[in-house]
Amino acid sequence: MPTDTRRIGGPEESFSPLAYTPTDSTKTLMVIYGPREVVRKEEFSMKGQLTCEFKYATFSCSYRRQHQQDSEEKDFSVQLLEALEPAVCLHKFPKAQVNIFVEVLQNDGSALAASITCASMALADAGIEVYDLVIGCSMKIHEDKVLTDPTVNEEYDSQNSKELNHGSITIGFMPSLNQISAITSKGEIQIDFLKRAMTDCVEACQKIYPAMQQTLHTSIKDKLTASER
Amino acid sequence: MVDALLSDAEKVFIIHGIQDNCREDGRGCEDYRHMTLETGVVSNTSGSSRVRLANTDILVGIKAELGTPAPDKDDKGRLEFFVDCSANATPEFEGRGGEELASEISNMLIRVYDCPGCVDLQKLCIIPKQQCWILYIDILLLECGGNLFDAASVAVKAALFDLKIPRVTVTQDEGHVELEISDDPYDVQTVDVKSSPCIVTLSKIGHCHVVDASQKEEACCLARLMLGVSEHGTITGMKKEGSGSLDPSSIDDMLDTGKRVGIALNKSLLESLEEEQRQGKKKGRTGFLR
Repeated sequence: MPTDTRRIGGPEESFSPLAYTPTDSTKTLMVIYGPREVVRKEEFSMKGQLTCEFKYATFSCSYRRQHQQDSEEKDFSVQLLEALEPAVCLHKFPKAQVNIFVEVLQNDGSALAASITCASMALADAGIEVYDLVIGCSMKIHEDKVLTDPTVNEEYDSQNSKELNHGSITIGFMPSLNQISAITSKGEIQIDFLKRAMTDCVEACQKIYPAMQQTLHTSIKDKLTASER
Repeated sequence: MVDALLSDAEKVFIIHGIQDNCREDGRGCEDYRHMTLETGVVSNTSGSSRVRLANTDILVGIKAELGTPAPDKDDKGRLEFFVDCSANATPEFEGRGGEELASEISNMLIRVYDCPGCVDLQKLCIIPKQQCWILYIDILLLECGGNLFDAASVAVKAALFDLKIPRVTVTQDEGHVELEISDDPYDVQTVDVKSSPCIVTLSKIGHCHVVDASQKEEACCLARLMLGVSEHGTITGMKKEGSGSLDPSSIDDMLDTGKRVGIALNKSLLESLEEEQRQGKKKGRTGFLR
């Protein structure tokens, strides 16, 4: 179905503040450190700092990636940061920082959307105060069709696309505040299609929301039973 | 981003002004500041331009070089964007200080130029899989006065308009391929920039949004939406920036404004460029690169 998202998994318990989100085949690994002291002394701030590092594992794509961050990965790091920043209560940890490291282990499309969802779950699981969860969702626009959660073969590629209305859009959505914290698009798209895709993205995010709540709920329950034992 | 330091009272002044559609310099919310544009300013380049938008000053030089096409795009030439934030602009850019901003600007330009309708890259290919033109687009930031992304995209489009690539003739001789590059300065190939996009940045300030935010206004803005808009009003790339979030309905409004402003910007840019071309050598130089 064009409107279905793939299956989304939840936090794993092997490392402590960590979430692992296997959609059908995009697998991202997320580690969060902090809040901890800011190392560089000159950057004093009464607000906490958030840093994100997005990296594809070298073997995660169809061709081999380099160890160093390339411009796409840097771009994704910034977008991930901007998606999460509005949701985190930064004033709760002054003079400290939270570092988020994302490693995509296997890329099968919608990697940015998956890592937004994954990072906000990991933040919640790590007990860092947030205003809301952030849910990432991607759409592929193909002429008059809008496809949810594209795989790597379906993703927008300027090479094989025709001129108009082929593209993709990714949003980060905060469901209980009804705010969009990140939005990006690629490809030449007419404004009406873009708006439609955006609405569809928001709807898809609202469908994912209960699943995320459920997962966090179970994870907390498991932690409690484990500590009782 | 290069931020101006503002007190809370100054911020409130700016925000209230914008609510009444009157900005600190007297503009309306959808007005650009005065822009000066000049092409053909650096002689060693294949195409160059300089844009001055109030205090924002940007110089773009394009060098066309022969190279091999990328393996996955073997019948196309390519564009490479490099942004250099000169420490002339602000002392914060000293050393590696401007790197983050530079990569943000170049990533946004890559994003908005990454669609087949923007520039006909097939025309830049000489022999598929072997030889093509690579356009190295270098953007030099000379002064920061707010709204760098829009100014950079306008300067890039102007420089592409000015671009003249020498014509290449391919001769085949018993399996040997020979390239001959014409040295006649008038025997040149140009690039059609009619459908290339311009970036329009919409800054959300208070409950309203404005285009072409000055440095002071940027300090009041928590979230901005950057759109690549083509002459027909289609969106070739979009990105939200800043630490705030936006309501879905206000994004809808911003898209509409962006389309309207983008069409007008593209139109007046192309008109000015054509006017400058018509004047040819007669026109006097105005900028500091006389």
